[in-house]
Amino acid sequence: MILQTFNLSKRFGNRWAVKNLNLSVEKGQIFGFLGPNGAGKSTTIRVLLNLIRPTNGSFELLSKNVKDHGQKIYSNIGALVEKPDFYLYLSAEQNLRILGALGGDIPPDRIKEVLEIVKLADRAKDKVRNFSHGMNQRLGIAQALLSYPELIILDEPTSGLDPQGIKEVRDLIVTLAQEQEITVFLSSHQLHEIEQTCTHMAIIDNGALVVQGGVEELLRETDFYVTEVIVDQPERACDLLKLERWIRKVSIAENVVKVQIPAKERPQLTEFLVRNHFAVYSVVPRTSLEDYYLSLLKTKEAE
Amino acid sequence: MRLFLRAAYFEVLKIFSRLRTYIGFATIAVLIPLIMFLVRKYGFEVQDQTLRSLGNSFLFVGSLVNGLLVSYYLMNVLWVHFPFFIVLVAGDIMAGEGAAGTFRILLTRPVTRFQIITAKFFATFFYTLTIVFFLGLLSIGAGMLIVGGGDLFVFDKGILILAQSEALYRFLLAYMLAVVVQMVVASLTFLFSTITSNGIGPIIGTYAVLAVFFILSVLKINALDVIRPYLFTSYFDVFFAPFSDPIPWSEILHKVGYLLCYIFGFYIISTVIFLRKDITT
Repeated sequence: MILQTFNLSKRFGNRWAVKNLNLSVEKGQIFGFLGPNGAGKSTTIRVLLNLIRPTNGSFELLSKNVKDHGQKIYSNIGALVEKPDFYLYLSAEQNLRILGALGGDIPPDRIKEVLEIVKLADRAKDKVRNFSHGMNQRLGIAQALLSYPELIILDEPTSGLDPQGIKEVRDLIVTLAQEQEITVFLSSHQLHEIEQTCTHMAIIDNGALVVQGGVEELLRETDFYVTEVIVDQPERACDLLKLERWIRKVSIAENVVKVQIPAKERPQLTEFLVRNHFAVYSVVPRTSLEDYYLSLLKTKEAE
Repeated sequence: MRLFLRAAYFEVLKIFSRLRTYIGFATIAVLIPLIMFLVRKYGFEVQDQTLRSLGNSFLFVGSLVNGLLVSYYLMNVLWVHFPFFIVLVAGDIMAGEGAAGTFRILLTRPVTRFQIITAKFFATFFYTLTIVFFLGLLSIGAGMLIVGGGDLFVFDKGILILAQSEALYRFLLAYMLAVVVQMVVASLTFLFSTITSNGIGPIIGTYAVLAVFFILSVLKINALDVIRPYLFTSYFDVFFAPFSDPIPWSEILHKVGYLLCYIFGFYIISTVIFLRKDITT
């Protein structure tokens, strides 16, 4: 296990921000840590990064207990907690030089290298105070990559970014995991982000773990995974789709056909409708986290 | 150790990359030569005051006013005014990181909190040392250049006339002691800076403590004698001690010992707080 927590708990006053959390992340995974705002994601990440002390429980990073190995353990871990804040009066390069120097022995070329990875090489000499939020976010990822990490922990890395910035960061995360074999642990409150980026995920709510496992397996188990389709003959479309084996469930409401399929089968759905001479006006994935929670809660209640 | 030295180097770099650091240097650089020019032009007033008290007993030929005498008088700014330049920087060194959120990134590196806070304390000391000696060098240098050199004439339980070379040696000692005094102020501000994430709080807090301590130190009420030994301001006059003859080494050592205890105490408290602190900003 590259990251593991054992009944990890953190209490602020009378409120448990995290309670008996047991997470397991294996090497090579892109692990999504999902939960609504205030669920305890950032607190968990801060505990994992030694920014705050757990009230109870323990954790291991890179199969080592932090209590035994101390701060040295973080030389192989990159992190970005919430929005990245740098020394505004210093340039991107100077910021990275400071953080790199405190991260062990990093070759001088590494700064240029990570700035190129996040496409900020041409702005290396610019003061950070002149950077946009998206550039700051990319610089945050650059600093997380400085010390050739085996694991990077990212707390809401796409928060506050425009659609283009979100896409860039997501692509970057996938590239890092696939090409550099870095295990990624990222938190988000957006289910579709986890769906598009992660291989595994855990859901946390009110500080407690709701569920964890492979993304596809978990999503398949629920009823939330719906694509809304508007076509010219919704009744006929619904009847036809019901006959298809690769579609789990189809229903119709107010002339909108609701199809339950994984995201990767959406193109197939569109193709099917066009092939059957429907005029397709829209195909909209409805991936609401709240719906997912409700479905999980329903499942739990039923059990 | 290597990580600590790197951390200390970068803390110094951070301090000297900020505009506020140069406020003190710029003020001193403008004010001291200006005062020297004014003294050169209107400096007789100082001489008259000095002479008035001694005129009945001595006959003075020539001018007693020189750059060293003015520098000696200027050392009075070290009591209340000069600490502002210290708290301005020391107040922000920990709180600034908390307010800006940079601790979140800094503390996820393999450097320990103990190394970080010690590096910051060292950087605060380096700044204090630099600015105190900048004041000293500029005031003596500009004084000798603009007003002129010569023997230093000071009062110490009577009249003390120090030859220029001896006076320069005494000034060196005095400014070294001034560094210790200013480090007490710096370490108190550092402590406040560790507690809060607001850059203004430590400045106000330190000046509030200084004001209360100064009041308690100067009030001539016998009952306050009990607490005076515990007020660090009671030992702040140590930087004037080298201008006595002979130099009261035991008194200096005694006062410096107390002041070092305060510096170390404030540093230890700051460290304990920081090691236990949850970084939630």
